[in-house]
Amino acid sequence: MTMKAKRPIRILFRSFFSSGLRAKRTRVFILLALVPVLLMLAARIMEGVGSASASDVAGFFGHFMLSLYFQLLIPVLALFFGTSIVNEELDNKTLVYLTTVPVPRRAVLLGKYLAALLLAALLIVAGFLLCFLAASFTRLGDAAAWEELGLFLGTSLLALFCYSALFTALGAFMKKSILLGLFFVFGWESVVQYFPGVTQKFTIIHWIKSLLPIPPGQNSFLSFQLQPSPPLQSVLTLLAAGLLFLYIAVFIFERKEYILSDNA
Amino acid sequence: MTPVLKAEKLSKWYGNILGISDINLEIRSGITGLLGPNGAGKSTFLKIAAGQLKPKLGALTVFGEPVYGNPRLFRRIGFCPEHDSAYVEMSGRGFILLLARLHGFAGAEAAAKAEKALATVGLLDSQDRLIKGYSFGMRQRLRLASSILHEPELLMLDEPLRGVDPLWRIRIMQLIVSSHILPEIEAMTNEIVLIHQGKIFAKGDIHRIRNLIDSHPHQVSIRTPHPRQLAARLIGNDFISGIEFASDHRGLTVRTNQRDQFFTHLMSLLAESGVETEEITSPDDNLQAVFDYLIGK
Repeated sequence: MTMKAKRPIRILFRSFFSSGLRAKRTRVFILLALVPVLLMLAARIMEGVGSASASDVAGFFGHFMLSLYFQLLIPVLALFFGTSIVNEELDNKTLVYLTTVPVPRRAVLLGKYLAALLLAALLIVAGFLLCFLAASFTRLGDAAAWEELGLFLGTSLLALFCYSALFTALGAFMKKSILLGLFFVFGWESVVQYFPGVTQKFTIIHWIKSLLPIPPGQNSFLSFQLQPSPPLQSVLTLLAAGLLFLYIAVFIFERKEYILSDNA
Repeated sequence: MTPVLKAEKLSKWYGNILGISDINLEIRSGITGLLGPNGAGKSTFLKIAAGQLKPKLGALTVFGEPVYGNPRLFRRIGFCPEHDSAYVEMSGRGFILLLARLHGFAGAEAAAKAEKALATVGLLDSQDRLIKGYSFGMRQRLRLASSILHEPELLMLDEPLRGVDPLWRIRIMQLIVSSHILPEIEAMTNEIVLIHQGKIFAKGDIHRIRNLIDSHPHQVSIRTPHPRQLAARLIGNDFISGIEFASDHRGLTVRTNQRDQFFTHLMSLLAESGVETEEITSPDDNLQAVFDYLIGK
């Protein structure tokens, strides 16, 4: 990245992160990110009144909450934030302001991508942290619990990076990208990950699941049909895939002609 | 001398829809009005000139350089788009400051540029309000501020005149402004380019083009309770080629080849005769009618 591109990336990142914090959509996503926290608190209350055992609650976190985060919240947040990077500019017809300044188009895309990534990461990390504290407050002195938290958060950020880059490329390529993105998340990712053998490696979720500890239980989303890949390979694959998707996004955005309206 | 803007065999279409076709045009220093009815191709031309669209055929250069994919050129160009678009979650100042920084200005200089642009369009008082609270006219002026803040050598304005203060207060070396409203352009410049159906239809001094228009009969409608009395006094003048009475018997339409002479005569006649009139209009005194005459409809 040249010095010429770094400055506009920084400017765009700051500006769009700041306006993103105030956006209505972010408020909706804050509520969405709080749903697992409320569910976890409800599970704790049930344990407190004797309706559920401590092992039930631990299992609830290991099975349901991880599934909720990694199969739903993270891809969906990445989908909405990622596709909006270009689509929002097209819908609001504001792209013209960013493409009539002496700034390379790649700087525009990367600045906005980083702002969207940080916004999504803050939502996920804050929600996950609260959720984890609610699930593990009895073992906060246990170093293993914090190691586990570090692993979850690190994997969350890698997943966000990769999914966001993919959906940024999708948004740069086509205007109505949400539908295709939803098909990818709830179709491809949800189904193909359970295919045996090499096929499951064609999903992002396979590499994410390979990084997470597999809790006991036959029906865990993490263990069902999973033939995990080695952790280092998974990290490198997610990083490489994310960078590749980002490169594709930049490639498309720099070359594609965006028509903002019926031209006269 | 290199023209400010040069188009050679420039064509653009969207699927089956023609934008512009085979345009050859050179624009030199000064203010140029780009005129044409809605759908004529003005916006397509300006969007190509502003690097927003790629030509399908031919080439367009600004200051001798191609525009598309050449962001460095935007230090010298300002473009005000036609869309009513803005980052509504930002304040007016935040928006202009962002663009100032992207233009390469930093710190106090960026703030000064933003303030100057906002002052030019009269938005200093409301600069800290969120754009979503702005009126249509204020957003229009904000767009204008976004295009002038870096003091470009060439300013291109796409239909910018609705709800905006007079633009000629802005000191710009070269200005290309598009509109479908003839009098607005007329107030700014005599040099115009007429676009119709994606082609350059006429180019040059507005008075010359008006003379062309004067070679066709102008229609003047006069609402009066005494149309026959007025017609009797008008008929016989060389510059009147026809008179038609309104079906409600409360007016007449006069066709004349010499509009200025006709109006002079009409005014003195009305003053002398005391014939009561309710309204005088020119039903064909608009750009669309002018085009219709020129293209022989």
